[in-house]
Amino acid sequence: MESAVNGIGALTDSSGQLAGRPLDEWNAAYEKVENYFHALRVRNKALLGQLVLRVLERAAHRAPTEASHSATQLAAEEMDRLVTEWFAEVLQESPAGSDQTLSTRGRLALLLADMPGRWQEQFLRPGPWPEEFVGAMRESFLRAGPDFQLSKMTPRPLDLGPIATLTNLGRIPYLRMVLAWTGFALLLVGVFWLTHGGFGQVKSSLAGVVDWFTQTYR
Amino acid sequence: MADAPTILTVNTPRPLHGRRLFLFYSSAVLLTGVVSWLFADLLWRTGWSFSRTVLLVLFVVLFLFIAVGAMHGVYGFFLRMFDTQWSITRLKNYRAQDIADISTAVVFPIYNEDIVRVYEGLRATYESLQKTGQLERFDFFILSDSTDPDKRVEEERRWCDLIRELDALGRIYYRRRLNNEGRKSGNVRDFLNAWGRRYRYFMVCDADSVMRGETLVDLVKLMEAHPTVGLIQTVPATVNGESLFGRIQQFSNRLYAPIFIAGLNYWALDLGNYWGHNALIRTEPFMQYCDLPQLPGRKPFGGQILSHDFVEAALLLRENWEAWFAYDLEGSYEEAPQAMIENAQRERRWCQGNLQHGLVLFARGLRGVSRLHLGLGICGYLAGPLWLAFLLTFNWIHWFQNYTGLSSITVHAFTPYLNLSGTAHALLIFVICMVVIMMPKALALIELAYDAPRRRAFGGLERATVSVVAETVFSTLHAPLLMLWHTRFVVTNLFGVSVGWGTQKRAADGTAWTFAIRRHWGHTLIGLVWGAFMWRLGPSLFWWFTPVLAGMVLSIPLSVFTSRRSLGAHARRLGIFLTPEEIAPPMELVALRANMKVHELTEDTSPRRPHAGLAEAVLDPYVNAIHVTLLREKQFNPVYAEQFAGMGVGSPAVRTLSEKLLTGGPDQLTPTERSLVMTDPGTMVWLHHEAWLRPGESMAPWWRASIREYSRQDES
Repeated sequence: MESAVNGIGALTDSSGQLAGRPLDEWNAAYEKVENYFHALRVRNKALLGQLVLRVLERAAHRAPTEASHSATQLAAEEMDRLVTEWFAEVLQESPAGSDQTLSTRGRLALLLADMPGRWQEQFLRPGPWPEEFVGAMRESFLRAGPDFQLSKMTPRPLDLGPIATLTNLGRIPYLRMVLAWTGFALLLVGVFWLTHGGFGQVKSSLAGVVDWFTQTYR
Repeated sequence: MADAPTILTVNTPRPLHGRRLFLFYSSAVLLTGVVSWLFADLLWRTGWSFSRTVLLVLFVVLFLFIAVGAMHGVYGFFLRMFDTQWSITRLKNYRAQDIADISTAVVFPIYNEDIVRVYEGLRATYESLQKTGQLERFDFFILSDSTDPDKRVEEERRWCDLIRELDALGRIYYRRRLNNEGRKSGNVRDFLNAWGRRYRYFMVCDADSVMRGETLVDLVKLMEAHPTVGLIQTVPATVNGESLFGRIQQFSNRLYAPIFIAGLNYWALDLGNYWGHNALIRTEPFMQYCDLPQLPGRKPFGGQILSHDFVEAALLLRENWEAWFAYDLEGSYEEAPQAMIENAQRERRWCQGNLQHGLVLFARGLRGVSRLHLGLGICGYLAGPLWLAFLLTFNWIHWFQNYTGLSSITVHAFTPYLNLSGTAHALLIFVICMVVIMMPKALALIELAYDAPRRRAFGGLERATVSVVAETVFSTLHAPLLMLWHTRFVVTNLFGVSVGWGTQKRAADGTAWTFAIRRHWGHTLIGLVWGAFMWRLGPSLFWWFTPVLAGMVLSIPLSVFTSRRSLGAHARRLGIFLTPEEIAPPMELVALRANMKVHELTEDTSPRRPHAGLAEAVLDPYVNAIHVTLLREKQFNPVYAEQFAGMGVGSPAVRTLSEKLLTGGPDQLTPTERSLVMTDPGTMVWLHHEAWLRPGESMAPWWRASIREYSRQDES
């Protein structure tokens, strides 16, 4: 840790700037890197500080030549590079790859090998690493299921019997026409009934209901 | 755990279903016939009319329903009292069966569930199975159909935690579908299409299922011992009830279900049924015969079969596979709704599914017994509207009698030798109805009295008797509400109207008063208006109707108070509604409760920020890695690869959306767009990279806040 502090301290100039950038900018960069390591569950504060300073030191070396990038951007890039390189070393894989497969695999391996719980001191440390840790990292895998053994279930036809006829009623040709005729016939019957005594029956029934309610609730 | 029972090996020919069915249903028809005859006589005495014909028809149908229910109780009682060899566990000595080379999948289809509870249930089952030494014969699958992005991310994260804690990598799997086609049956079908051929059997569990390891092993051995069996359905015990309602339901399930299921097994035997979960299924015939067709016509009847279980059993039976109820196998558990409204919500779903079975009822080739299973399911929901129609017709007859001023009793009884007055005649029928309804409960108590270990398991006969009385009072008040609910569900389903219920608004200790008022004001109003009408019609009649009216009028307080955990706990302290699993909880349930308590005490239960799942899947390096790994693996399945392509995963459009997500925040995207972004593995890795590498000011304030909160949260 001391070397990291010394390393970055050596880049401080007389105006109080660090690698040509104001300290506030480095403070923001520090926070960004620290947040990410926090997210990786690096909880040991001494280790955390050391790792952040390592990243900032790498960023500070780039700062004078890359004026268009903020300190935070440089630090974030260096953090990403440092972590990916370390994953490549531990997992013995090439760091190249635009789809970030290594990053994903590495993070998963950290989790499954229980880096936050058991191996925090090994994180980002140069090798050699304990065999158990390396083994746990390299053997880590996560699968949603065993090997596929694909097949395809196919529904068998189900003859619904007479019910199918009912559900197909809507498809019977001229159904609407037949329904209209039936409605017309019912209308004729209804009018006939009303004009042949039915109207009187309805009237007396209604009067009865009104009477009953009147008597009951008087 | 209790000692293994001695197995009586019986080599018997295939049972004669015809004789059993004839005997069983003839008993119900005989009883219905005699009582209906008495009822018809009563109606005849007061002068026949069209409305009386309607009333009689309704009475016959309704009484037949309760007579069938009572016969299940009576037959089950005698079978349990005098033992029976006709149980799948007794047909062969299955325990010696070797299952060394047998692979079985235990699947948990889930849909936006309380994932902590699901995984703890799975953990309890897994650990119980581990103790049997047979764990390597089983693989566990969490089959997610969840649509809520927060839930999906939580499921993935907790699954990874679970397999790490149990060291179950390559033993417990998690698979999420990209769409929800076919709902639960489609979910299971998707599993079978991908991995079905690897497993000779699969056990379907519900989100709240817990299985004892030995029971799982026994089920596999039973299947191996009976090569013609396609499905074994266990009878899950309802457990973990805490509210008063939950404990009442749990008590009735544990006390009455055994005799009912024994009665059901009497006539069903190897032509049993499937209830959708806690059942072991032989994979090959299921895959061959049980993919469900779409039903013709429009929704709610046409389209996908919702209650798939009954139909799947019927399709298996059609192809001469057997289905048994393993009703005497303990160690199968499930949970039940804890409040009346939650229960009604479940009833609504089941009602729609059961009514839809009307289309399958007459399908050619089905076995008669399958039609009976389907028919009984339908009748369970039609009984509500029919009962309401019966009561209304009865009211109409009385009102008409009052209105016309006709005298009530006009002639002597058709059965003069009974020498009954009209009132005594009516009372006799009423008493018979009550006896038939209450008989199964009484028989369950009598059986308990004769079974010392079981009696102790229920806290003694005295407590059980008090509990039965209290349960009867509650179910009397609850029944009219179920009648109104079922009527509404049936009518709305028949007219194709969808009934929206919204989310249950819970108070700390159960249903909130405001929510109960919103759900029950109609019941209360109906009860009050009906009561006023009955009072005007005649106070003597009013008193006969009070049990029906009281349930409606008191529905709001009844719903609220029975949902209270505190009242459930109080009843427990008094020794009421005790069940065997409460008095001597099995290890699986003890572990489940303990682990749930740990979660309750240690986890932050405060509401999460909107889009918390998205933030976690992007920002958390580990959750992002899990999420992306699972997505990448999907691409090896041609079906999913095709769906990915169809959704546009990997296309530049998704990258544009993710850029918009970073700069504008999640609210700038529609839910579908957010879901698409979260489904694209490349984009999710890119988002993780960008969110951590980009300067904060180039991202939406939501991201900056999430990163801040995320860092603090981890620190805490």
